[in-house]
Amino acid sequence: MGFPAPALRPLPTRGNLGHAAIFMVFPIFVLTFSMAVGSVWADDPKPKPDNTIHVALATPVTPQKFSRPVKFFVGDVIDRAGNPQPMLVTNARGGIFVDRLPVDIVREALESSLKAADMLSPDAASADLILNVYLFHFGLAPSLADFFGKIELAVAVKDPKSGKSQQITASGTSISHVAVRKKSEMKDLETDFNGALSDAVRNLLRGQALHDAVASAIESPASAGN
Amino acid sequence: MRTFVAISLAALAGILLAAAPARAKDSKGKYKTVEAKHFDRAEGVELMPEFSDYLYAELRSRLVKTKLFDQVIGEGEVVEEADAPASVVITGTLTEYKKGNAVESRVIGFGTGKRSLKLQVTLVRRSDKKNLGSLAVRVKADPRWNEKILAVEAAKQVANEVKSSLEHEGS
Repeated sequence: MGFPAPALRPLPTRGNLGHAAIFMVFPIFVLTFSMAVGSVWADDPKPKPDNTIHVALATPVTPQKFSRPVKFFVGDVIDRAGNPQPMLVTNARGGIFVDRLPVDIVREALESSLKAADMLSPDAASADLILNVYLFHFGLAPSLADFFGKIELAVAVKDPKSGKSQQITASGTSISHVAVRKKSEMKDLETDFNGALSDAVRNLLRGQALHDAVASAIESPASAGN
Repeated sequence: MRTFVAISLAALAGILLAAAPARAKDSKGKYKTVEAKHFDRAEGVELMPEFSDYLYAELRSRLVKTKLFDQVIGEGEVVEEADAPASVVITGTLTEYKKGNAVESRVIGFGTGKRSLKLQVTLVRRSDKKNLGSLAVRVKADPRWNEKILAVEAAKQVANEVKSSLEHEGS
């Protein structure tokens, strides 16, 4: 009587183990590819007609009055914001863009306002003063639950006769609420940017800083109020 | 009967038409312009750099809603000589800011540990720099809230105080 010797019983091995591994490769590949493609798309939205807003002044800003008629020429408008995608407003919801470059938008706003008041000179040679504009911020400033549109300009007011130049600044802000639907959000953004642009142009053309710069350039007493 | 109805309707229309210009006149702002300047910060007030910009923008938007002013102009804009006596300039200083304590606020409650901001606001008439009022505003908010919400609350309170102060000034 003794214990029977333990017999090694062979465990059944899965014959198609290799096939199971092959089946797993395909979903992993698809998942990885879709994530990679998705991340590339998320990082680099493209402007299309349905994600582009039109930013322009609704009505030209009336510039302040000076002691004698002054003609301005809008010289260089240079983007100093350092934004690699200057037309991109926000990355959210597949990206929202402005329809033109910020420098073109600002130039058009300034020229239309000066032209409406008959203060725009057709060329630099016939202008009393040349405005060279540096755009330091054009877009959304950081905010929590709304759109905080902000435009910051530095303007060099140059007298072409004496060559003297004075630097002044102007800024415009606007706040609008975030909408639920993308279409409404784009409408709000458009209103927000138009408000900020109008505010910035108004701040420049009706600003005390421009008044002082013009007064010192043409050496005449102030005509507008303080 | 038909004549009576027609006369009544004509009389009602006449009253409404006569009242319309009066209503329009009432809804027009009492002051021509208001200029809100960026608020200064007292020493030790540690708020994020964008706070002043945001408060300025929000205050301007709130001042529009008071319907007390025809125009809310930007900082440093000129005003016509004729409009200067009916124009107001708002300056202010953020005098004290306490971050608050989220744990105290949650455990003790009853307003303890809340974030608080004190502002000193001055209203001046543009033409002769006459002081139209000095306001002390204190805003409290939950310590878990973002500072931007504090700015919104502050702007709301300042605009309300400005409105009540200027309405009181006129009466």
